[in-house]
Amino acid sequence: MSFLKSLLFISLILLSACADVLDDINPSGSDKRGDFDSSTIGSHPGETAADFSVFDTLNNTFVMSSELVGADAIVVYFTMWCPICDSHMTHMRANIIPDYPNVKFYFIDYVSGLVSVARASQLDNGYGSSTVLVDDSNHTVTDLYDATMGTTIVIDRNTIVQMNEDYKDGSKLKDILDALP
Amino acid sequence: MKSSFCVKAQVFYSLLTGAAFLMSTSSAWSASCCGGGGAATLVLPKFFDSMYDVSVGYEQYHGFWSQDGEHLDDPPGSDLNQFRITPGYAKRINDNWQASIVMPYVWNDNQYAGLSSNTNGLGDATLGFWYENFDDIKCVYAVNSIEDLTPAAYFGASLTVPTGVSPYDDVENSFDITGRGFYRLDANMLLDKTVFPWGLSLSLSYGMYLERDVNQEYGKYVEPYRRKLGNRASGSLGFSYSKTLEELDTLTYTLTYAALKEDAATINGSIDSTSGFDTQSVSIAVAYSTMAKDWIVRAAFNHLPTNDGLGSNFPVTDTITIGVSYVIP
Repeated sequence: MSFLKSLLFISLILLSACADVLDDINPSGSDKRGDFDSSTIGSHPGETAADFSVFDTLNNTFVMSSELVGADAIVVYFTMWCPICDSHMTHMRANIIPDYPNVKFYFIDYVSGLVSVARASQLDNGYGSSTVLVDDSNHTVTDLYDATMGTTIVIDRNTIVQMNEDYKDGSKLKDILDALP
Repeated sequence: MKSSFCVKAQVFYSLLTGAAFLMSTSSAWSASCCGGGGAATLVLPKFFDSMYDVSVGYEQYHGFWSQDGEHLDDPPGSDLNQFRITPGYAKRINDNWQASIVMPYVWNDNQYAGLSSNTNGLGDATLGFWYENFDDIKCVYAVNSIEDLTPAAYFGASLTVPTGVSPYDDVENSFDITGRGFYRLDANMLLDKTVFPWGLSLSLSYGMYLERDVNQEYGKYVEPYRRKLGNRASGSLGFSYSKTLEELDTLTYTLTYAALKEDAATINGSIDSTSGFDTQSVSIAVAYSTMAKDWIVRAAFNHLPTNDGLGSNFPVTDTITIGVSYVIP
């Protein structure tokens, strides 16, 4: 019994020092998304997307607002060339991209910082036929969209953010693209 | 005196089997990109009251297997590492039951061409219980009857508690992750047979994650959904050889093969085909014990081969672990 008491005491001390983990110990299913609308520029769904400019791995300049011209939307997936990223990107190429010919899809390398390094990773990982963007070494786009590994953003033709969250199984992305204005 | 060798051997093999068991099950998604740092259960040797254990692990990443099993390199200029220190304590409850806790602390140290990251935090803790299905030492010096082949058998259960930092916590990015964020229940079995100085051990485990609510990812609130990671099966097979030193201290060498497979996760009950993985590894370990059997020092090297087809959707790593156990009679 003393062992169990010690165990409980140590656990409480450790957990109380790490408030973050309580989200996992006692998960919440309540919807805590805020209300956002197009009157503000930001990264949340509903807000007007902040414009940005980067290079792709072929040294072409990519300007978000220009790419939207004539397209239903653009989709940008943040990759660090990890196993999960590869699974997501493979799934997207096979199951999402072919169904939306008027949507532009991009992968953005947010860890390399250099076009040459990003290009090497792109080719090493078998994505030579895809358009890969390169976030700069200041991580401008990553910070602008509060993004990380697996983040998928959808910006519609009206420059409204429709999605900004992890790719997961791709079903949310598909739902969003099906419901584009 | 001769019989004490056998007792010591079984103590050793129990500890090493436990160490191998730790290796075979601990490093699921331990990639710095993906969290991890969980641990498995300790195994307290028969007839001992309690045990303190601490191990220090250094894991270096060498690319990953894609979902198709192709080995891919990390980005050029990458240097991805994880350090873990894992303290543990095991306590005998009665003649045949024991309980334990291990709680790792994890440091992620990543360098990409354009990004460096150093983060740390608690990993996922594990509470374990074992039932020893034997009442005396099963180590023998020679096999003279069928009874001499009876192994020491341990049957147990463990609960992984999501004390680490997961993608579903209020974290900024994937580099902060040190855990998976799910409770998991495992059924475990260890079989250990020693015919001194040789030993053979088999460990099997089957685990089920508990489904949970998710309403945020990397600190961003999302439309709530239910997620459950896939069931997992793992096993390891180890061969051991013990050598008694002049002062009656003991050295034990172990070679272990381990395999692990996790099924695809579900989101709101639907299969997430981008998830799930499998991996195989080999490890070598050496352990040193004093004559009194109270202190045991071990070192191990765990290797995941870079060959295509030996894993999928999983990082390829080498891990060096050094551990010390203090066993109290």
